[in-house]
Amino acid sequence: MAFDFPFVKEALTQMFKKSSCEEYPFKPKEAFPNYRGRIVFHGDRCIKCGLCEKVCAGGAIHNVLISEDEEKEVYERTFDLTSCTFCSYCSDFCSKSAIELTGDFHMTGTKHEDLLVKGQYTKVKKKPVAKAAPAAKAESCDNKAE
Amino acid sequence: MFDNLINKSAAKSPWLFHINAGSCNGCDIELVAVLTPRYDAERLGFRLAGTPRHADIVVVTGPLTAQIKDRVLRTIEQVPEPRCIVTMGSCPASGNVFKDGYTYAGPLSKYVDVDVDIAGCAAKPETVLEGLYQAAMILEQKRKDMKNKGGQI
Repeated sequence: MAFDFPFVKEALTQMFKKSSCEEYPFKPKEAFPNYRGRIVFHGDRCIKCGLCEKVCAGGAIHNVLISEDEEKEVYERTFDLTSCTFCSYCSDFCSKSAIELTGDFHMTGTKHEDLLVKGQYTKVKKKPVAKAAPAAKAESCDNKAE
Repeated sequence: MFDNLINKSAAKSPWLFHINAGSCNGCDIELVAVLTPRYDAERLGFRLAGTPRHADIVVVTGPLTAQIKDRVLRTIEQVPEPRCIVTMGSCPASGNVFKDGYTYAGPLSKYVDVDVDIAGCAAKPETVLEGLYQAAMILEQKRKDMKNKGGQI
């Protein structure tokens, strides 16, 4: 053919096709299921077992005692997202499901405070149980021995 | 005569320079994913520069090891003002799991003023795009401030 320009047909068809790029900044996008993003802490479910701090490889979890009285202690737990590896060990090991890794991936900040997740939880102090009299204990032991 | 035109165009097209400061390569791959056709940051004006002297935004990945600390700081010094420094991933911002290691010399904010932190391990390309957009906004503001002070951009 006289007018056999290379790629003309391809170029013309591609001009009217949808772009193969992600349309992210112009259209909102959701993360894939089970994506591990920004941490959400439910302070009301926490029982302060401290397991999440122990399993955290990056040392991202810190506790600060805010207030204390005779009945309870109030703590603030901070998750530093700049130290986090998003391995989800803290949420996996939490028996009360107090820590949740959501699909929110908008994790940028101009200050360090923008990337801190904070939550408060209370620990109720146990009242000391009255001990049984030592004499009674000794008696019971003697009975068993007999 | 063309100064205004050049300034407006430069604000819309910041050039990136990428420094690997001991990264595990996870963040580097994500940054490459941002610049290549799937996410294509070039359609938004971001372009990878070959030398720090051409760059506006410096993207640092990795926890800043003792070996590379001086090189990174020297490279950042070569980037002309106004510049914007972006830490990508958890490592340059805090050290992440390497923070107790004997070769760790960071965080980067100890030595230079960091403008934007991008969290994630490794950071998702959408998050990187968002961070770069914030950096571009900061850069535009810095450009204006510098011009108001009478400096030549």
